[in-house]
Amino acid sequence: MDDGGVIRLTVPADLKFRDVAVRLVAEACRMIVRPRPLQQSPASSATTSSTHLDLSDRFSAEMVSAVSEIFNNIAIHGFANRPVGDIAIEMTVAGDHLAIEICDDGAAFDLSQVPKPELDKLPEGGMGIHIAKACVDELDYTPGPPNVWRMTKYTNGSRIRKPRRMSSQPL
Amino acid sequence: MPLNHSTEDKDGVVVLKLVGTLDAMTAPELLPTIDRLVEARKNRITVDLEGLDLIDSSGVAAIVALYKRTRSNGGRVTVTGARDQPLAIFKLLRMDRVFSA
Repeated sequence: MDDGGVIRLTVPADLKFRDVAVRLVAEACRMIVRPRPLQQSPASSATTSSTHLDLSDRFSAEMVSAVSEIFNNIAIHGFANRPVGDIAIEMTVAGDHLAIEICDDGAAFDLSQVPKPELDKLPEGGMGIHIAKACVDELDYTPGPPNVWRMTKYTNGSRIRKPRRMSSQPL
Repeated sequence: MPLNHSTEDKDGVVVLKLVGTLDAMTAPELLPTIDRLVEARKNRITVDLEGLDLIDSSGVAAIVALYKRTRSNGGRVTVTGARDQPLAIFKLLRMDRVFSA
């Protein structure tokens, strides 16, 4: 697509609403990496309406991963000791990139205090921000209120090598 | 998206099959099964991720917990079939080689 467009979603900062956000992000990614043809076949319509989440392209897989981790962080830590507020997501869909801003009024977060996980020790926590950073081209956080996460991902700038499908082989 | 999980004993190997999404919302559903496998000292476990569409850091943590607890019992966990987003996350966290070793 050539012209930019803005998509907005506000949901409670509760994990049970994360799926709604994830699906909308996946749809926004699809607009950039796989624009739908004007005439859609019945078969592809059926695929779109199923509950299966198609993250087979690298761009969508990485963008959804980043948003999922930020959403988790806000829902689990931002509102841990206070009434649950909202998470406001604004996605700007452009020709060669997707920019996403995520705002909340929960507890602020100190990004500089997050240690890099020691991956060789197989950590069982502390991987979320590392995943988010690695999956987008730009990640910026401004503590609030409102706290604002800004991330941008370009279609030609992905950092993770495209995964190969390995259906029946070991990892 | 929900998580569907099942276990099946195949020639002494327990195959733990995960379908759907393994994340902060659904990973707690898996913990009783992990506890059961560890307490029963099932020492050969294969985690089949062919049907898994999405994983997050909480989901990875659940699989790492199974891996570490089984290993401390002298057992072994392998992960097979990861594709798309879950495979990208395992590679990013450098866990792909650990789980297939």
